[in-house]
Amino acid sequence: MKFKKVLCILTAAMMVFGATACGGGGNTDSGTGTPDAGTEDTGSAEDESAGQDADAGNEEADAGAETETDAGESAGLTGTLKVAAVETAYGADMWKDVCAAFESSHEGVTIELTVDKKLEDVITPEMKSGVYPDVILRAVGAESGLTETFVKDNNLVDLTDVLAMTVPGESVTVGDKILPGFVENSICNPYGDGKTYLMPMFYGPCGLFFDQGLFTAKGWTVPETWDEMWELGETARAEGIALFTYPTAGYFDAFFYALLHESMGNDKFQEALRYGEGIWDTPEAQTVFDIIEKLASYTESTTPANANDNDFQKNQQLILDDKALFMPNGNWVIGEMAEAPRAEGFEWGFTALPAVTAGGERASYSFFEQVWMPVGAENQDLGKEFIAFLYSDAAAEIFAKSGAVQPIQGMTDKLDGDNKLYYSIYDNGAVAVMDAFAATDAVEGVTTRATFFDPVNSLVTGDKTKEDWVNQIKTDSDALRAALKE
Amino acid sequence: MKRENREFGASPGIVKFFIYLVLALLAVTILVPVAWVFVASIKENAEFYRNPWTIPQGFHYQNFVDAWQTANMGEYMLKSVLVTAMALALLVVIALPASYVLARFKFKSRGLWNALFMGGLFINVNYIVVPIFLMLNNGDIFLRKATGSPFFLNNLFILSLVYASTALPFTIYLLSGYFKSLARDYEEAAYVDGAGYTYTMVRVIIPMARPSVVTVILFNFLAFWNEYIISMTLLTRQELKTLPVGLMNLMAAQKSAVQYGQLYAGLVIVMLPTLILYMCVQKKLTQGMTMGGLKG
Amino acid sequence: MKKKRRSGFIIACTAPAVILFVIFMIIPTIDVFRMSLYKWGGYTAEKTFVGFENFKKLSQNPKFYQAFQNSVLLIVIVTLVTFCLSLVFASILSREKIKGQNFFRIVFYIPNILSVVVISAIFSAIYDPNQGLLNSVLNLFRGNKEPILWLGSQKLVIYSVAIAMVWQAVGYYMVMYMASMSNVPESLYESASLEGAGRISQFFSITLPLVWTNIRTTLTFFIISTINMSFLMVKAMTNGGPDGASNVFLSYMYQEAYTNSSYGYGMAIGVTVFVFSFALAGILNAVTRREEIEF
Repeated sequence: MKFKKVLCILTAAMMVFGATACGGGGNTDSGTGTPDAGTEDTGSAEDESAGQDADAGNEEADAGAETETDAGESAGLTGTLKVAAVETAYGADMWKDVCAAFESSHEGVTIELTVDKKLEDVITPEMKSGVYPDVILRAVGAESGLTETFVKDNNLVDLTDVLAMTVPGESVTVGDKILPGFVENSICNPYGDGKTYLMPMFYGPCGLFFDQGLFTAKGWTVPETWDEMWELGETARAEGIALFTYPTAGYFDAFFYALLHESMGNDKFQEALRYGEGIWDTPEAQTVFDIIEKLASYTESTTPANANDNDFQKNQQLILDDKALFMPNGNWVIGEMAEAPRAEGFEWGFTALPAVTAGGERASYSFFEQVWMPVGAENQDLGKEFIAFLYSDAAAEIFAKSGAVQPIQGMTDKLDGDNKLYYSIYDNGAVAVMDAFAATDAVEGVTTRATFFDPVNSLVTGDKTKEDWVNQIKTDSDALRAALKE
Repeated sequence: MKRENREFGASPGIVKFFIYLVLALLAVTILVPVAWVFVASIKENAEFYRNPWTIPQGFHYQNFVDAWQTANMGEYMLKSVLVTAMALALLVVIALPASYVLARFKFKSRGLWNALFMGGLFINVNYIVVPIFLMLNNGDIFLRKATGSPFFLNNLFILSLVYASTALPFTIYLLSGYFKSLARDYEEAAYVDGAGYTYTMVRVIIPMARPSVVTVILFNFLAFWNEYIISMTLLTRQELKTLPVGLMNLMAAQKSAVQYGQLYAGLVIVMLPTLILYMCVQKKLTQGMTMGGLKG
Repeated sequence: MKKKRRSGFIIACTAPAVILFVIFMIIPTIDVFRMSLYKWGGYTAEKTFVGFENFKKLSQNPKFYQAFQNSVLLIVIVTLVTFCLSLVFASILSREKIKGQNFFRIVFYIPNILSVVVISAIFSAIYDPNQGLLNSVLNLFRGNKEPILWLGSQKLVIYSVAIAMVWQAVGYYMVMYMASMSNVPESLYESASLEGAGRISQFFSITLPLVWTNIRTTLTFFIISTINMSFLMVKAMTNGGPDGASNVFLSYMYQEAYTNSSYGYGMAIGVTVFVFSFALAGILNAVTRREEIEF
């Protein structure tokens, strides 16, 4: 058991970031290597109370530095912690269980948990009045833009010190436990000042989903370059199957980032994320626009009609019914469509984006949710302790039971069946992309979603040309660049 | 209506047929979709991914059990009934005398208030809900300091009060329209008999306005019962949700599987009381409008 | 003494309504006007006074014009179509001898009592491109051609919303017009038919003039309720999509105020809507002014 775990950690670390894994893992304060930390994990998960004591001391020192006073009373932190999490495909129960686990390992702590599918509707009114949850789990890129709002307002607690905290009940630090790359990106460090404001939680590779059964039956191979993709598009069209569909235009974010990265390489990609001047006129950017334009012409024609929050599942159903071949999505789609009827022999297939040139990079966007604390949080120390706890093996196991996978050393190997397929995408040489457009101050009337992604609907219906779209991107990029943080 | 159609022109039969056809068509376009909601509510979850117009495979009443218990619709219903009833009571008690006086008494600031209430018709709840919330919350912050316990938010009574207040302009407009159309004689006769203002209003005028009051109650019942934006904002605690807000949680949310069966059962649960109430008072509704309430 | 009693009665009757109205409607509205002059994200304490900057930005934003255009289009279409239909149905139901008159009156009103969520669920099933009721019926006539994307085509989507709104509103206005038509004295029609006037000329020479006051009132209702209902419908059916093609005033306000951390800018939209609807109602009221006909 122990041995297997050590192996997992090693492979997982390697898998995701190849060479960088070693560097990231070796950085621990205690000087132990990654495998060592892993062994400790296993021990302490069963023997929580022992680790707890050691940790409490650590915490107090930490608390002393802050102004909050809740901490000093006893050995640990006490008080009421308000946690708010969005309910997604993983369900609400795992949050209840994790909070219960935290309460039982931290005496004197009660958690007020809010889990809701429409989280922002529930917590926004209170927050407007200055009563904030201490810890919030909500990812950037949501329709409501809740997280973006807090980033724009500089309204987040600096969580850099959480990375140095020891995971409660364990002896490894949070920073070491998180897979490399997940903290060092523009989502978690939105202001580019080297500080971490959002912590990575459940992640999943995004890419193209398809019906493996159909491909096998027809003898088609999954395209590896966009040129092969277009060929397949013609073949499929002859059989009355569309090449492509998408749930809503919002799903193009992951797709767009990955495609940009493939086409531009990392340096220019980073520049594009900061709305670099002239970046959209470069040939690499034009390639991306051309591909999306062409893809729009291969898109199932009824897609835009259902590309809204009410009906997007009808677009996903197109894949299940073999009416369209590919859609951009994340692994949650399997749970989302679990009860939906499907074509005979249907089997989920998943691939990274095809390469722009033969033998070129193939990218898959790594979507991850974030947990963060608003500046208005009252129990900041307890909140940080809770966040650290989320990375413990005890918590991770509860999450994993519902299918929620955190970017923690050793998690991917505990997966089974379907899930394994998705997380092993990076094994097969796909590059993981996990940044997003840089944070800006609010620009009235301009949102990245409306500028970059919504117009895809118009490309499909023919209401806008590629030129209209690119021009809008350029104009709005100028406005966004002027409002960049710093 | 009581009159015989004496002249039908060239082909009375065809005209009549055409009229019936149009009426029937419109009735069908209304009844079919409404019936469809009922039918959908007994379908199993998997059936929702298929053609929406198929006949259900069985009578899956479990949807209602789930909606009522798992999704807490029963509890939300209780809250909704409470809030709606309180709001209606408040509204009628407050709006009746005000509309009566504003319609039939001449006093200095009457024009001003009539104009303001009229202008109030144009105020949209969607943009004043946040200021209302902030105001109540400031009140709570003050109360917390002064007495230690908040009062305004998460309070069903306050929610009802806000409902009643936002419905005032329309209600006063409706009722004073009716009161204006009354002849002066009623009051004068009462005054001659020695009745006071209050007695005259309560015993003479208000009983006459009963059909209009029914109209007001029905209109506002529909509005309060289906309202969710104010309710969502002012009731932040989970256990205090009203029915439409509870329903929102069953609605499609991305990245999670939708319980369609429960959702449609929930829709029916929300819809039924309004349908029943409407059936009960529909006769009075037309009557209330006829009485001059909406003559403007 | 009597005067004192009288003013006491007036105050006692109006005070509760006036107080509540001022607290929960006037003051918040003033607050909306005030906030439209600030740049504020909605959560932080930091508010910057920017004067009319928000309005200036609004006037330069094509997305706002799109929402504006859609709103006006809806107000015009929904008002005109609903008005004509409900007037015709009202006069049929109140003037013609129809079997099941009561039945029709009850049924036509039903859409008005449904919540918007139900209506949007219904129309989502009707407009579905492949399996929707509408396309299935149309396919009987036009063959199995490319499906019509009722909610997917940018040119059609706003009309699709309009149809749903008309469907919802016809019964309400019909009942209203019926109420005022039943006040028209029967003798007028009798003498008109003695003079040989047909149904249609009776409608224009008697019914229409006599319910004119009522019609004028409903015009104001049309403006107010179209602005509000179009928001609720759009939010439930398309959320402004595809690509903003079905955004209306308030859905655009909602997006900006609550999801783009531009609360002040959103309130500027709110102010614009308020002023616009108020002015429009005023203009319509003036234009439609006729001498009142008493009966």
